[in-house]
Amino acid sequence: MLTRRYVLQRAACGFGMFSLRAMAAGPLAPKQPHFTPRAKRVIFLFMHGGPSHMDTFDPKPLLDRDHGKPLPFKRPLTFAEGSTGGLLKSPWKFRQHGQSGLPVSELFPNVARHVDDMCILRSMVGDSVAHGGAVLQLHTGSNTFTRPGMGAWFVYGLGTENQNLPAYITVKPGLSHGGAKNWSSAFLPAAYQGTSVAHGGILAKDLKEPVEFLSNKELSPEQQRYELDMIQKMNRWAADRRANDPELEARIEQFELAFRMQTQAPEAFDISRETDATRRIYGMDDPFTYDFGWQCLMARRLAERGVRFIQINHEYGPGNEVGWDAHSELIRLHTRTAKMVDKPISGLLTDLKARGLLQDTLVVWSGEFGRTPIAQAGDGRDHNPYGYSAWMAGGGVKGGTAYGATDDYGYYSVVDRMHIHDLHATMLHLMGLDHERLTWFHGGRNHRLTDVAGVVAKKALA
Amino acid sequence: MLPLEMRLTWLMCAPLLAQDPVFETKVRPVLAEKCQGCHGGKTPMGGIDLTSAAGTSKLDPARVIAAIRHEGRVKMPPNGRLPAGEITAVSEWFQSGAKWPAAAGTGKIERADAGWWSFQPLQVVRPAADPTGWAVNEADQFLLGRMRAAGLKPAPPADRATLLRRVTFDLTGLPPTEAEIEAFLNDSSPSAFDTVVTRLLASPRYGEHWGRHWLDVARYADSTGADEDHRYPHAWRYRDYVISAFNRDLPYDRFVIEQVAGDMQPPKSGEAVNVDGIVATGFLALGPKLIAEQDKKKMFYDIVDEQIEVTGKAFLGLTIACARCHDHKFDPISTKDYYSLASMFASSKQLSKLEGTVSQLYFAPLVGKEIADAWQKAKDAADAKQKEIDAVAASEQTRYREKHAPRFAEYMVAARAVYEGGQTAEQAAQGTGLDPWVVEQWSRYLKPTGERRVYLERWEQALAAERPAVAREYYQQYLDTVRSRREAREKWETLAAEAKARGEQPPEMPKFLAGDDRFYTEVTAAGGPFKMPEKDRESLYREESRTKLVTLRAEWETLKKAIPAEPPLACAVTEGDRIDQRVFIRGNPEAQGDPVEKRLPTVLAGVDQAPVAQGSGRRELAEWLAGPRSPLTARVMVNRIWQWHFGEGLVRTPNNFGKLGDKPSHPELLDWLADRFIASGWSVKEMHRLLLRTAAYRMSSIPSAEAREKDPDNRLVSHFQRRRLAVEEMRDGLLAIDGTLDPRMGGTLQSGMGTDKEFAEDRKSIDPDTQPRRLVYLPLRRSNLPSLLNLFDFGDATTSTESRTQTNVAPQALYMMNGGFVAGRARAIAVRLLGDKTLDDEARIRKAHLAVLATPAREEFVRAATAYVERFPGTADRTAAWTSLCRALISSNEFLYVD
Repeated sequence: MLTRRYVLQRAACGFGMFSLRAMAAGPLAPKQPHFTPRAKRVIFLFMHGGPSHMDTFDPKPLLDRDHGKPLPFKRPLTFAEGSTGGLLKSPWKFRQHGQSGLPVSELFPNVARHVDDMCILRSMVGDSVAHGGAVLQLHTGSNTFTRPGMGAWFVYGLGTENQNLPAYITVKPGLSHGGAKNWSSAFLPAAYQGTSVAHGGILAKDLKEPVEFLSNKELSPEQQRYELDMIQKMNRWAADRRANDPELEARIEQFELAFRMQTQAPEAFDISRETDATRRIYGMDDPFTYDFGWQCLMARRLAERGVRFIQINHEYGPGNEVGWDAHSELIRLHTRTAKMVDKPISGLLTDLKARGLLQDTLVVWSGEFGRTPIAQAGDGRDHNPYGYSAWMAGGGVKGGTAYGATDDYGYYSVVDRMHIHDLHATMLHLMGLDHERLTWFHGGRNHRLTDVAGVVAKKALA
Repeated sequence: MLPLEMRLTWLMCAPLLAQDPVFETKVRPVLAEKCQGCHGGKTPMGGIDLTSAAGTSKLDPARVIAAIRHEGRVKMPPNGRLPAGEITAVSEWFQSGAKWPAAAGTGKIERADAGWWSFQPLQVVRPAADPTGWAVNEADQFLLGRMRAAGLKPAPPADRATLLRRVTFDLTGLPPTEAEIEAFLNDSSPSAFDTVVTRLLASPRYGEHWGRHWLDVARYADSTGADEDHRYPHAWRYRDYVISAFNRDLPYDRFVIEQVAGDMQPPKSGEAVNVDGIVATGFLALGPKLIAEQDKKKMFYDIVDEQIEVTGKAFLGLTIACARCHDHKFDPISTKDYYSLASMFASSKQLSKLEGTVSQLYFAPLVGKEIADAWQKAKDAADAKQKEIDAVAASEQTRYREKHAPRFAEYMVAARAVYEGGQTAEQAAQGTGLDPWVVEQWSRYLKPTGERRVYLERWEQALAAERPAVAREYYQQYLDTVRSRREAREKWETLAAEAKARGEQPPEMPKFLAGDDRFYTEVTAAGGPFKMPEKDRESLYREESRTKLVTLRAEWETLKKAIPAEPPLACAVTEGDRIDQRVFIRGNPEAQGDPVEKRLPTVLAGVDQAPVAQGSGRRELAEWLAGPRSPLTARVMVNRIWQWHFGEGLVRTPNNFGKLGDKPSHPELLDWLADRFIASGWSVKEMHRLLLRTAAYRMSSIPSAEAREKDPDNRLVSHFQRRRLAVEEMRDGLLAIDGTLDPRMGGTLQSGMGTDKEFAEDRKSIDPDTQPRRLVYLPLRRSNLPSLLNLFDFGDATTSTESRTQTNVAPQALYMMNGGFVAGRARAIAVRLLGDKTLDDEARIRKAHLAVLATPAREEFVRAATAYVERFPGTADRTAAWTSLCRALISSNEFLYVD
């Protein structure tokens, strides 16, 4: 039987050197960061559709005062050019929270309790006014080309702490607006591509198998081990005939790794072991918050197990309508969407903190853009990539602060503009990576997650 | 091409870089990347223009320097200080007077660039003779010369079974059958291998496999990818064209011309249009497109750029697209060259409608114009009639609402008795004269949904006693909106009529937005509380409406029947409006520079070109690409063919023959092959025969100790390069082995257009595990490639793929161990073997080995496998044990690799 002991025995006789080396130096082995990291893993909370910043984290008193009036400056290109109107005040009240007194609207009563751990980025900027390009840019840095998803860069730069699980996992991602392009490895080696757990169109309660091909329905573990030993015996013969070709040796190792992965990964995705109390703080006792609560709980379980980059997604789809994308009916749509995510996110932050994980986990919340201060279709808001809010919490983040600012109405980012490239640079920085040194040569030049831009937002760091 | 001497004379004009190297390398890039985005264009921010001497001369250097040092109130760039080196360079430049070079935006190329090997004409030399007797033809002689010089010997020939598996996968993407293996192993004639090659090249499976190679280069897919991922509903015709082109050995020069300008080639006899030629331009049309981009000009030129990129890489092995924003940093392609090419593609039509939130794709009819127009006209007429029918229904719906509206408030109160009081609609309506149907609809509408509906909150909070009065308020609000909108409309009609009488432009029609009065919008919606009953709805219509509907429907039927069959369409390009192109400074369409003519890159075609006077210029481009003056076209293609046979190209970057690409390992061989290729009439199949006949192709894939030592990358081709099966070969091969591969060719497996209304499952590609057709026939939706393809390095189908990568990761092993597809194939083979009662177990084991690995089993395997099935744990089920054995064979390295 080709067990690990067997490999070691053979190694002692001078065989198998390649495989040991492959194990130690595989593409996913942990790597030294460029400098001391503040966080070891990322949980990215993606709010597909574009939450309105003026209604959540960026209060605008002048918008109340000038409600109904025309925008007092030139309007930039919008998505739905034909149906824009005057300024639209926020229907929600803001209140100060925590020691820091940061204002958060009544849409996020639970998340608001964590403001002292959060840095609200009020000056976000992207380049695309349509979802497709904006979602791609948030995920890959480019709004046009196929580029690696940000998680792929982190895994390329840092490897992973648990090779028995995928290093980059996105839970229930959407298949529109870039789809799998958003978590692909593009030109980076496929080892760095994201693994999707189901997709946005499936409800968590209906999910049978979180990751494809992870279990065998026909064979017992004993039978499968028996089969694997036969495969490895054949592979060993072939490798011997070829004088231990490293590539063939590596594939022998991959089968062993796969075998370990399938025995350990199902446990990671099995939330039946969580207590009712834990499920409750994620809102899983309420059908309305169950789905996103399940995702948030999954994020914590994966974080605990050393997954490097975890993304969870609030998507368009069954039960979610158009998510945050409130071109009309802002009140109804934002009320329901905020309610779906507020308690689960708050639960995640609470749970991470209670378990001592928040201090070295970087949590980032963002849509692909924000929304306009002017009305669309009378009672909605259009896309706004020119100024919007995101937030970060956890390892290395300066809690209880607001970074940057938009103009008086929330249209343009005007102070400490934080482009998506800057967000990426800052995230990499917190994880111990210099975005200018994390490069990959492809198609005739060096590429970076931040393209030729990106500035680390030092003021947002603790 | 001009004689080299003449080009060099021109090229020796002092290049910009030499004029002012500090400015060009240290200052201009900073201004371009960090400043001019705001301080440039038509309305530079703060009136400060950093794109020209006129702009910079107006500035106070001290203030500029303070700003970039972030010392004063103004900090530039606002999002972070420049690196120290850049601050120094820009400061010094301002201090020394901010001098700009004499001429900007150049098109001048250094002498060294023009001398780059791949731009030179083919240089055909004879190889040295082979004293060892190993070489079969000149290609071998070239290889052997290099090997001998390096002290290497060619590897011995591969065994016959290995060779047969190698060549069969190589030419058809499928393994040899048991019968084919036996026939070859028993054929001792010297022409046995040639017989096999001839058979394989004649098989339609050949075009499917080699067509797929080309589809990689052409970044073929069936959807736009990027944002909306709309389908290319007719993309499959291009795919079928490519497969057919390889099968019928369409001369490669024709293949090039048709893909770039096939629509401009004369039709074949009996055709109204050149069907193949139009379909072939799918090469240009099928790229990824951001069709919901709102900056339409940018989007238009993104499409053009993508076409330049794929054309440059596929035919010339050059990355021309870099020159969109600046003169190419590494290759001698200037922005003028780039925009000359851009003007050709920009003058071609790719979209039927650019404007609108989502732009519309253009589909070319594959019939004559009269037939296509007649179809369009008939279809439009039927659609217009349908609209008339819908209008009657809508007017009746409005009439129904107006009929019941006077009792609006009463309906609200009655509805509450239903949804809150638990009465039936009949009960609530009893004795009131209200229509129970309408009560039911109001109840459905008003019943709280758990969603926030601000405009209904007052109603919901009203106490029982207040409700009739509150309901009347709602009615009044409804009436007010009805009245105000009617008045606005009437006022506009008057104004419009007056304007028309004066011969002026009428004012804009008043626009009512759904959210201006959400309550009114919902009440008046077709599915709202005044919705007409579905059952016997038309019995409630007025007599005149019913009569009108009978007539309209009869007319619609007639029109519908009169629509001729939809003409076949293709995703293709055609000639568009001829555009007079200018250079876009830094790629920005708003920053227009010098005008350019329609002509070819000067480093390739010389400076002395007559600009294209008529049409887009694609025809001239195509003819030049395929003509004798292009030094690259033949070189690039023979290198690809070499790569697809030998695993690596002579140039190992087949899409990049420029300065950042690889240099040829055997330049003489490359040119000799290119020359032969042209001399054979650009016959791809002839090139196959030439290469497959070599001794090099038949070598063992096991390197000698010396080769591993001296040439670990096998650049000298002293042994055959073992390779992993591509995902198509693995998956189609397994279907072939278990006998379930569906050999039907061509056609489409998808329908519909694909829209942004689709979510989740609808957007997925067809799962290859559930389809018995060859993988090349499965539609590829760029945004959601099947996980099998991602798992096994298919690539992404968004940019030209020169070669597939070969990764080796655990999820691939999981697919083999646990995937239902592999299990299904293993089981099918097991069941077939067990069902054959003429065989004993040893024979079954030998047959299984031969079927899956295409080579006779070694005795050690027969012994181990016999014990394996006998001692399979946990079950006495022989099928389970044999299925497991077959899966082990499929999972083995011997299956996944070709030696």
